[in-house]
Amino acid sequence: MDRGTTISGIGHAAVVVWVALGDWLFAPSVPPPMQAASVSLITDAAFQALQASAPKPAKPAENPPEVVAPAPLQPDLPASEPATEPVPPSQPPPDVPAEPTPPPALPADLPVSDDPQIVEAPEPVAPLADEAQPIPVPLTDKRPKPRPIDRVAATPVDDTTDTPEIADIPTPEISDQAEPDAPVVVEEAPAASPEEAAPVIVTEAVETEPDAPQLAPTSSRRPQSRPERVADAPVEDPVIADTSEADAQAAADAVAAAEAAAASDAQAAADAAAIEAALADVATDAPAEDAGAQDLPEGPPMSGSEIEGLRLAINKCWNVGQLSSAALRITVMLRVEMGENGKPNAGSIEMTGFEGGSAEDAARAFEAGKRAVMRCSGEGYDLPPDKYAEWSVLNLEFDPSGMRQR
Amino acid sequence: MKTFRTLSAALFVGFAALTATAIPAQAELTIRFTDGEIEPMPYAVPDFIDEGGSGDYARNISRVVASDLSGTGLFREVTSDAYISTISSFDSPVAYNDWQAINSQALITGAVQVNGDQIVVKFRVFDVFSGEQLGDGLQFVGTTGTWRRMAHKVADAVYSRITGEGGYFDSRVVYVAESGPKNQRQKRLAVMDYDGANVQYLTDSSSIVLAPRFSPSGDRILFTSYSSGFPQIYLMDVGSLNVQSLGEQPGTMTFAPRFSPDGGTVVFSLERGGNSDIYALDIGSGNLTQLTNAPSIETAPSFSPDGSQIVFESDRSGNQQIYVMGAGGGEARRISGGKGRYGTPVWSPRGDMIAFTKQNEGRFHIGVMLSDGTEERLLTASFLDEGPTWAPNGRVIMFMRESAGAGGQSSLFSVDITGRNLRQATTEGAASDPAWSPLLP
Repeated sequence: MDRGTTISGIGHAAVVVWVALGDWLFAPSVPPPMQAASVSLITDAAFQALQASAPKPAKPAENPPEVVAPAPLQPDLPASEPATEPVPPSQPPPDVPAEPTPPPALPADLPVSDDPQIVEAPEPVAPLADEAQPIPVPLTDKRPKPRPIDRVAATPVDDTTDTPEIADIPTPEISDQAEPDAPVVVEEAPAASPEEAAPVIVTEAVETEPDAPQLAPTSSRRPQSRPERVADAPVEDPVIADTSEADAQAAADAVAAAEAAAASDAQAAADAAAIEAALADVATDAPAEDAGAQDLPEGPPMSGSEIEGLRLAINKCWNVGQLSSAALRITVMLRVEMGENGKPNAGSIEMTGFEGGSAEDAARAFEAGKRAVMRCSGEGYDLPPDKYAEWSVLNLEFDPSGMRQR
Repeated sequence: MKTFRTLSAALFVGFAALTATAIPAQAELTIRFTDGEIEPMPYAVPDFIDEGGSGDYARNISRVVASDLSGTGLFREVTSDAYISTISSFDSPVAYNDWQAINSQALITGAVQVNGDQIVVKFRVFDVFSGEQLGDGLQFVGTTGTWRRMAHKVADAVYSRITGEGGYFDSRVVYVAESGPKNQRQKRLAVMDYDGANVQYLTDSSSIVLAPRFSPSGDRILFTSYSSGFPQIYLMDVGSLNVQSLGEQPGTMTFAPRFSPDGGTVVFSLERGGNSDIYALDIGSGNLTQLTNAPSIETAPSFSPDGSQIVFESDRSGNQQIYVMGAGGGEARRISGGKGRYGTPVWSPRGDMIAFTKQNEGRFHIGVMLSDGTEERLLTASFLDEGPTWAPNGRVIMFMRESAGAGGQSSLFSVDITGRNLRQATTEGAASDPAWSPLLP
């Protein structure tokens, strides 16, 4: 017999002996002594008398601030009984008088005009704040500070049209680019811009534009932030022209090879001529389209973080708490034109469409979206100036369906 | 071979054209929002302008408007000490920047003019951050004695303009006012403005009254009284306080009455020989129709807003549950399916929801569910919550809450159907069995 079996046998034997002789481990504990109190039986009448003599409960203290609350007519309110829709009692209560004596009648119908009358709008009502009015610094709607992430260098691309009123209010902490015409801001801008300039431009572009390499293999998305390249673009248009010409050359070569193989096929020559003509049309059309597109500075595509930053900035002001349940079922689409300073043009905001409800409810949902865009704009959203072409017009889709709780 | 050449050339031209046109196109940036904030909207209500003889009316009206709006929980007033600019004239331009600076999203301006007994109240609402007026300005004309109603009407219009749903401030609540010790509880009908003002008693305390219900036009009240020695339903004219018995039949008890949407029919429970069923009484002709016929207890009927269906409670399944049947009776389908017992169902004025009382695991709840019984949601929980009634716009529910203990007493509470903004209503003493009126004419 091995040693382990011996030890196991001794252990089991010890446990059997212990349980058989002692079993103190599983013995029931001694219950705590029962506490008893002497009581006396009283009648229901005596109990009610005790209840009546008990201290009166405090009256509720909470009152709406405005409501006129007359002095309580019945200050003493002892214990109450459940007041519910009655399940018929088996016995009707005794001593119920036949008919209540009604108090004096209520006044007749309150004389308020049935239909409200429209008040004519005053002529000068509510102009948007003009420049003569001082623009105080918002107490709560401060523009969010730049996010601590690498971003495109704040190279002045086309900022010569910056509005002068921004310079009137020095807000250096929210200016992320140099403004040549605003000396106060210029002091702050150089300190910020170099730090944010980084070679990760390429990375952000790749991350957010996965289709870009496929659409433009030889890509025109090269250092777009340099103003001289923007100015030269209509003349050069290197991408389209180069690409087209290279492809045309390859096509021409292929056609020439085919011609050689076919030993002077006249039809092939005609095809080649047609291809050349078509490519020539394409090459001449492309620069014309580009010229129109380059009215705005063309920068790298907005990164995912930049778009998300804008989304969060607007989202925090999108308050749907006041929307009706019908309006909460509606998705509204807004179109917003943005100024180069990052501020939305209030007059440009329009509803381009809605889904899921009536036009009236959509109007309320639209107002909530418009309010969100305007309320959080502050001194302008934190958007990269060199990508203004991308955010000059925003399409915003507000879908509160996930928040519906009614 | 010829075909191949032509095809390849066409494909090539197409590819070149696609490449040329795709690159310069600038797609507009589209951003989608799905998770907004839910918070009270800050607004400002400067004291209305006194345009002659208004005395304290101008300020009092603006204060009632503010109380109404803030009381909904959907709005938060920006107090006057934060104002940068003042409203000196009803027609003066609005300095939007000043109101934006204090984060007031809406601005309500108004003016009051009093001529003898006539009072004129006019107002406008502005969207501060959009820099535009919301809707048309309106004015109301009435007597000085109705200044609170006019303030409520202003608040209703503002509420409706911003939220898109009807208001409920210009309405009343009828309820049972309670007084006296528990073993000698005195109950009488009382009516008050929705905010607790202008309390008036409709009956004295000589008999127990229960479960008052307004008619759809608000000029009549159904209630249950023990004045005859056993529960019977009565109809009261609010203007004259004249009372008449309804559906009285020897040897029966009637209770839990409620009007049909057109006001011409009353449904109620009638108990005979220990069994109660639901009946419909045509007020005009006096015709009585039995709608249910079961050995169980059927009670608390309530019409759908279109009058086509009736929701009621029944214990035919062994415990209290909620059922729906056609307005003419017939087969009922059970719509409550959760744990516990369900009772006192009331159909929303909007028709989409049913409010109810639920008792489960020793707690009472006020809850809502869609009219098909789905999406049940409990709004409250306490020792005893019971008897929900809908505000005219179907957005708020008022109910009775009784506190625990020997000294507990009943009072009225209201809650938004989202479960937010639970508030105690102001009443003179203990109160129970609230019933909301429709909007006043």
